[in-house]
Amino acid sequence: MNLINGFATTIKHLLERPVTVQYPEQERAVRERFKGRHALKRYDNGLEKCIGCSLCAAACPADAIWVEAAENTDEERYSPGERYAKTYEINMLRCIFCGYCEDACPTEAIVLEHKYRLSFHDRRDAIYTKERLLDPPPAGAPDTPWVTEPGTFDRAIPIMQDPD
Amino acid sequence: MTKTATIMIDDQTYQVPDGINLVDAAKLHGITIPVFCYHPKMESVGMCRMCLVELGSISVNRDTGEPDLNDDGSPVVRWFPKLQTACTQTVRDGTVVRTSTAQVLEARDNILEFILTSHPLDCPICDKGGECPLQNLTMAYGPGRSNFIYDDKLHLDKHVPLGELIYLDRERCIQCARCTRFCDELVGDDVLAFHERGRSLQIVTISDPPFDTKFSGNTTDICPVGALTTADFRFGARPWELDEVPTICPHCPVGCNLSASTRIDRDFGGKKMIKRIMPRQNELVNEIWTCDKGRFGHHHSRAADRLQHPMMRQGGEWVKIDWATAYHQIASKLKKYADSAGFLAGPTLSNEDLWELRQLAELTGDTPRLGVWPAAMTGAGVVAQVGIGVNTRLQDVGPETAILVIASDLEEEAPIWWLQIKQAADRGAAVVVANARETKLDRVTHTVVHYDYGDAVAVLNSFAARARSRRKTSKALLDNRVDGYDDLAAGLKGTRVPFADAADVLLDAENVIVFAGAEGLTLDQHRELMQAAANLLIITGHVGRQNNGLVPVWPGANVQGALDIGFSPETTASLIDEPPAMWFIGGADPAADDSQAAHVLANAEFVVVGAQFMTATAAQADIILPRQSFAEREGTYTNGMRRVQRFYAAQGPVGDALPDWTIYAQIGARLKGPKPPVSAAAVMRAITQHVPRYAGMGYSSLAHVEAQFPDVGGDDLYYGGTAYANHGGLGVQWATDAEDDSARLVVRPAQIEKPEKSGDLCIVPVRLLYDRGPLFEPSDIMHQRVPEPYLELNSQDAAHLSIADGDRVMVTAGEIQIETAARVNGHAPEGVVLWPRRLAHGPAPALFSACSVQKIEE
Ligand code: SF4
Ligand code: SF4
Ligand code: SF4
Ligand code: SF4
Ligand code: FES
Repeated sequence: MNLINGFATTIKHLLERPVTVQYPEQERAVRERFKGRHALKRYDNGLEKCIGCSLCAAACPADAIWVEAAENTDEERYSPGERYAKTYEINMLRCIFCGYCEDACPTEAIVLEHKYRLSFHDRRDAIYTKERLLDPPPAGAPDTPWVTEPGTFDRAIPIMQDPD
Repeated sequence: MTKTATIMIDDQTYQVPDGINLVDAAKLHGITIPVFCYHPKMESVGMCRMCLVELGSISVNRDTGEPDLNDDGSPVVRWFPKLQTACTQTVRDGTVVRTSTAQVLEARDNILEFILTSHPLDCPICDKGGECPLQNLTMAYGPGRSNFIYDDKLHLDKHVPLGELIYLDRERCIQCARCTRFCDELVGDDVLAFHERGRSLQIVTISDPPFDTKFSGNTTDICPVGALTTADFRFGARPWELDEVPTICPHCPVGCNLSASTRIDRDFGGKKMIKRIMPRQNELVNEIWTCDKGRFGHHHSRAADRLQHPMMRQGGEWVKIDWATAYHQIASKLKKYADSAGFLAGPTLSNEDLWELRQLAELTGDTPRLGVWPAAMTGAGVVAQVGIGVNTRLQDVGPETAILVIASDLEEEAPIWWLQIKQAADRGAAVVVANARETKLDRVTHTVVHYDYGDAVAVLNSFAARARSRRKTSKALLDNRVDGYDDLAAGLKGTRVPFADAADVLLDAENVIVFAGAEGLTLDQHRELMQAAANLLIITGHVGRQNNGLVPVWPGANVQGALDIGFSPETTASLIDEPPAMWFIGGADPAADDSQAAHVLANAEFVVVGAQFMTATAAQADIILPRQSFAEREGTYTNGMRRVQRFYAAQGPVGDALPDWTIYAQIGARLKGPKPPVSAAAVMRAITQHVPRYAGMGYSSLAHVEAQFPDVGGDDLYYGGTAYANHGGLGVQWATDAEDDSARLVVRPAQIEKPEKSGDLCIVPVRLLYDRGPLFEPSDIMHQRVPEPYLELNSQDAAHLSIADGDRVMVTAGEIQIETAARVNGHAPEGVVLWPRRLAHGPAPALFSACSVQKIEE
């Protein structure tokens, strides 16, 4: 009896369509809230959102993030306000994709996106530098750094709205 | 014993010193009364109202003097009808406070909400974020949300330079006036002020050049928000990412305790580097302050042009060699020259370096010649007798104490001592400033003695004579412990006393401290000056006690250590007069200071120089040894008050540079010396065994710390500021002979032979804090503060030569000829040209050498 039950299950599954996909030729869509490789975001005008505050690094339970900040000037501006990330690195071998960095970020600059192809031939390649993480500027927007008019981008965090 | 008062805080009874500030009294017992504007080192102003408490006093029956009692037997308390600011109250018997009732908590909540109305919520990019009193107190006592409308926030300027060192963020300022009060009250420099009123109130700098004080960095520590930040650190890291390493300032004899905030950095090859320097609390040394040279002058440790490898001169070219070759070469040269080698130690060599250098020197002969550089000041024996009393706290000095500062421009030579003396004067201490010219310390006192250059010793002798004629001598000491008094008394007989008022100020005080420099004195004269100071202190009995004794204003961070370990400026003088065939120089740059020394070095047969940079002396070497800076290694310095203090390795290594002691021990090992010690601690152990005064100074005793007041750092940022708590050790001060009742003290007449001044105009070199010395010049951030080379002329002399303030002039003094700017500002005495050392590259002329000054017509 048990034997028949067992074979029945096997036969049932034999007749089903397989769920495996031919990765890497074929990629499966992920859920909207999937947490994959990070991206550093930009504002619509092309300025970087990251202000180099290191809060993501502080929140990271795996100590995967390394930020070094520097000061924006009107001659060389990367982000609004006074501060930007000169160095921004995530060690993907350390990252546990928990998303705490995303939660900690005051400017929504670091976002875990849908990319999940993460394999490396060299340990060093696992360190994603700012160049690799940063999204390209939106169509038509100039890449950073910018030369700006004094007084145009003097606030780091977009002026807050009353939360109510 | 100070009187105590019994007070009640939150229904508990406590004993506290009578009459102290209520906030301090609570803090002494670990009770928090949050403050913003109050600071334990400053007078209270009651501006922020964060410290509101319920305040009352125990009602006392006027007839019986007994407290009135309630029916249940508890004392009757008369409460103020409204909350009171704790920071403006002093405690007395019967003071009662409640610090955490609902009413108080609500008041704190409201005050915080109010302070935050226009605060920008910049915490993520604010350098203070993470160690910010406003942040911490808001988390502890503040509202979760605000009733005010975000859109109504004022938006003010964010990047306002108050000078090139400090930036103001106007939005963040909470108008507590700590910064302005620090500058006005503690420092006495009129540099910051409030401008406008109400919501337009803002901090502005009112001096030209802006924020013109040597202590500006301290305002950023005590600012309770991130309104004031330093240009040096700006965005360097977040405070929680920094690794605090205790260190000691290598720039002057005060020996400020500092904390190097370090972090690894991509731009520094992924090694640890110093991101900023913060003061580290040592109430016996620098309290919680530091001068801007100590705070911003750390860049030399990772300057791009630091020497990285041992180098040897081969046919006029520098060739990189490895350490083994260097050791071997030097060892064989030392063997060859043996007795005709001279050793010279610079002012930033640590005690460990000095000890190993001496060990190395002793391998070459029984009586090696050990000199110290700069050889401007001497008096090791005098200091060992009458150095300042152990555990002196300048911050406690008040009306019972007189302080004499002689032959020193203290603000330029030892700024923190200047600051402490200035504050002592404010508390009522009598300050006597004796110098041949006006210095900034003159402002703090009415008792100023301006003598002629060359007369400093005579002035001190006259004070001693006055002590005798007014019978202000200490009989007990003279009868029992002093040798040579009869000679001295005979020598003082008939001495004229031109500055009797100043003498009396000193003689009438209960305690006397003498700070002695060497401005306008030759080495021989300085020896006499130190003796004259000792004479005065000994015969008046002002030795061997706290707040009494002599403090030499040495020309460097560890000159005291060099003298303690057996190096002497007299030997240096003899080395220059009778030069050895081989020179072994560690961390000194005599060629840049002294033309005679430069000349002698050029003619030497073999010169070995340990240096951080290609200095004028290194350029004359046959072998250059790259030495590590104070930042990369451990060691100890002995400050001008004989406190031996440890510093720790803060920064990653630079090139192949090594600590000096390792280098010396390695060379020694190739001269059949002992096996090199394995650590700086082991070297210090050897010192404790062989230098009697250092017997108790093993690394663990030097690292000992005790609780200090006021609390800084940690949970108490709101209180003392962001000076760092001391985790590296308070250091140990060695005791003088005067403190040992069985030791004899020696006095002798001090000679007042004046050196000859030559010509109508003669030169007096003076020291400036901000100069172009090799350890300071790499700090680009300070360049605006270092004046262009200039010299100062007396107005009479200037008039004769038709020179006006600011003219370009050509100065010729012997072989030295230099074009420079002239200042005619009333500081130089007639016939004297003041020559600030190390503003121009190239040696200063010798003291009192004749010079001619000619205006350059444009
Ligand atoms: S997802 Fe988590 S582990 Fe990965 S970098 Fe962000 S905080 Fe760190
Ligand atoms: S990604 Fe966000 S949290 Fe991280 S440094 Fe940049 S702004 Fe700060
Ligand atoms: S700048 Fe800082 S210390 Fe000065 S008044 Fe404003 S908050 Fe106070
Ligand atoms: S006072 Fe002297 S020891 Fe203190 S920080 Fe300034 S230079 Fe350094
Ligand atoms: S009013 Fe008391 S601390 Fe500000």
